Amino acid sequence: MAGNTSSIDDHVGALLSGYIDGELTQQERQRVEIHCEACTDCSTQREALGNLRKQVGQAQLSEFGEDKWRETMDETTVRATRGIGWLLVIGGLLAVGGIAVYGFITDPGIELHLKLIIGAIYGGAAVLLFSVLRQRLIERKSDKYKDVEI
Amino acid sequence: MNDMRQELAQLGGGAHALAIQILGNVDDAADAVHDAFATALAKPGAYDERKGPLKPWFMRVVRNRCLDMLRRRRSGSLPVEELIDPATGPEEATGEAQRSGAIRNALAELAGDKREIIVLRDYLDLSYAEIAVVLGVAQGTVMSRLHRARLALKEALDKDGR
Repeated sequence: MAGNTSSIDDHVGALLSGYIDGELTQQERQRVEIHCEACTDCSTQREALGNLRKQVGQAQLSEFGEDKWRETMDETTVRATRGIGWLLVIGGLLAVGGIAVYGFITDPGIELHLKLIIGAIYGGAAVLLFSVLRQRLIERKSDKYKDVEI
Repeated sequence: MNDMRQELAQLGGGAHALAIQILGNVDDAADAVHDAFATALAKPGAYDERKGPLKPWFMRVVRNRCLDMLRRRRSGSLPVEELIDPATGPEEATGEAQRSGAIRNALAELAGDKREIIVLRDYLDLSYAEIAVVLGVAQGTVMSRLHRARLALKEALDKDGR
């Protein structure tokens, strides 16, 4: 550190950042000011760090504006509402299906071999549907290009 | 609730800037902010205004979400991507855009902890006490960490003659 009257031990170091941020006590501020009057290096650095802070503050670090985030939040609400809606629909369908299956199984008017055949057809269809849905969900989650519009 | 939504929308840009510095990817950062919105809106009671302003609380939610995403990347669930270079493109022609590009490039040369503390203080204008809350560190360590980060940023800018 040339051009100053202070020894290296006296340099104010991190206090320079505290100074430009207005985070020092009055005593610390005075220490920095007195030091910078005598030390050109620290004085120059204080000015440079102040300018740097201003530059970062004015830089454009995100390209999206407030409107974009408002839309994002609306989308979040819509997704949550839709999730609840789906949950209710699926729950209702399962309840209706369960009652129908129970009625079918306990109906004394239908013979056992008919119950088994019809049960196998519907059961097989349900397994196939579940398998296809599962596959689609896995593909959708791992598809990198799902948002690409052609 | 609407006041909170309004305030969160205003914080979106800053939160995105912070997430970009942590994750190094614009799209992942947008996802992190989206998830943080979902968390904040699903549990509005989690934020206690008596404990301080919304801004540092929300930035902490965003940061935690980013750290979760980084952990998932390391465990292989998400692809690890190189830091993007946001300062390229024809829109960088104006002086202001060039200065922004220079800052973004210089930030990209720093370690993650240095990038985030600079953004928290100089871009988001959080106080040292608020930064300590966001980072989960003692307030006394903020000034020295920030100073080291600023010196590193200055060096990166000087090195490239920007």
